[in-house]
Amino acid sequence: MKAGEPEEFIVDGRRLDGRKVDELRPLKIEAGVLKRADGSAYVEWGGNKVLAACYGPKEIHPRHEANPKRAVLRTYYSMAPFSVYERKRPGPDRRSMEISKVTRQALESVVFTHLYPMTAIDVFIEILQAQAGTRCAGITAASVALADAGIPMRDLVPACAAGKVGGHIVLDLFDIEDNYGEADLPVAIVPRTGEVCLMQMDGNLTQEEFEQAFELAVKGCMQVYEKQKEALKKAYEKRGEEQ
Amino acid sequence: MKKAGEFVVPGTELGFSEEFIPGRGTYEEDGKIFASLTGVLRINMKDRRIEVVPHTTVPEPRAGDIAVCRVVDVKQQFALVKLLRLVHTKRELPGNVYGTIHISQLRPNYVQDIDREIKAGDIVLAKVTNTRRIPIALSTVDRPLGAIKAYCTSCNLPLNLEGSRLVCPNCGRHETRKYSSNYGKGMI
Repeated sequence: MKAGEPEEFIVDGRRLDGRKVDELRPLKIEAGVLKRADGSAYVEWGGNKVLAACYGPKEIHPRHEANPKRAVLRTYYSMAPFSVYERKRPGPDRRSMEISKVTRQALESVVFTHLYPMTAIDVFIEILQAQAGTRCAGITAASVALADAGIPMRDLVPACAAGKVGGHIVLDLFDIEDNYGEADLPVAIVPRTGEVCLMQMDGNLTQEEFEQAFELAVKGCMQVYEKQKEALKKAYEKRGEEQ
Repeated sequence: MKKAGEFVVPGTELGFSEEFIPGRGTYEEDGKIFASLTGVLRINMKDRRIEVVPHTTVPEPRAGDIAVCRVVDVKQQFALVKLLRLVHTKRELPGNVYGTIHISQLRPNYVQDIDREIKAGDIVLAKVTNTRRIPIALSTVDRPLGAIKAYCTSCNLPLNLEGSRLVCPNCGRHETRKYSSNYGKGMI
C-alpha cells in the first residue's frame, strides 16, 4: 500500500467524495467566454478548471506546414504552474505533448478540415486547476470552443473517463481514485454515430471489466454531450441579445 | 426531426436527403442531412433548402462585400489580388482567398494601360462582384474604392497624395493609380 492510500474506496455504495459509482462530478460548461478568441469555452468539472480557445481557419506559418488538401489542426494542451499541488514547471513536456496529440486526433475526426485547405486552426487548452481527468475536460472544452467559433463540424466530441478502484468499476475518477486506483480509461466519442475518437488506458482491466468500464464511460460521454449542447445554446442566445 | 426556428448544434439530424437540399451550415451523410454549425434552423420551402443560421462563423466573401486586398501580380488584362480582410468583420479570412480585378473593372472609364492604375504591392479596397468562380471577381470602379496605400516604383516607399497626384517622399517621382477617396487616411 502506498502512502496516503485510502483503505476503502467505496463505503456503503458511496465513493470518497460522496458520489455513486456511476455518477459524474458536477459539470459546468460555458461557451463564448473570451472576447478576443474566435471561439472559446470554460469547463468546470469537479475540481478541474479548463479554458479552451480557438482561432482560425487562418493563414498557416511556417508556410511549408500547409496542406493543400485540408486545414491543419493544431492543438496545444498546457497546464498552469499553479494547477497542481506541487508547482508544475511551465512549458511543454512529454505528457502535455502526448495529450495535445491525442486531442488533435480526436478533434480531427469531426472537423471538416477539407473545407479550408492551406490554413491552420489553432486550439489552445489551458488547465487552470487539475483534479484528474483533464484530458477529457480539455477535449470537451475544445470541441465546444470549435463549435462556438462556427467552424463546420460533423458533431461535438464529449469525453469522459471510467476506471477501476478498489475492485469496482466507477465513472469519472477524481484525483485520489486516479492516483491509487487500479485503472483509468478515458474515452471520447462522436455521439451521433458512437464512433470512438479517443481511448487510452492506464493500469490493468480484464476483458469483462474493460467492457463494463467502456460502456460506463460512453454513458458518461452522453451526459457530457447534453451539457455541451446546453452551453452552446446559452452562448447563442447571449450573442443574439448583444447583436 | 427539427422544425424551422429551432436551435441546432453540429451533428443534429435535420432531415432526409430526399426532403431537402442541404444549404449553408449543413452536411449530408448516409442519405440524411445534419447540422455542421451552431445556430437556428431555417427552411425555405420554396426551393426546399435547409440551412443553419449561425451568429459566429468563418468569414466568407459574398457579392457586394468590400475587401481589403494586396495586389500580388499585374497581368495585361487583370490584377491578381489576395483578400486580406472583409471590411466590418472582426475575424480574419481563412488564408488563401484570391481574386482578380479585370482591366474593365478598375475605373469607370476606359483603361489603356493597366500599369498606370494598379501595381503589385499596393493595398486596395475592392468590391466583391462574383464569388461563383475561383479566383473571385472584384471591382474598384466606385469612388471610395481603389488603392489606399501605394508604393513608389523605384524607392518602394509609400506614396503621398498631394492634390490629385501621388508623390514619392524620397525621389519626388509622380505616379498614377486608381486611388480611393480615402487614400492614405487609414480609413476603411
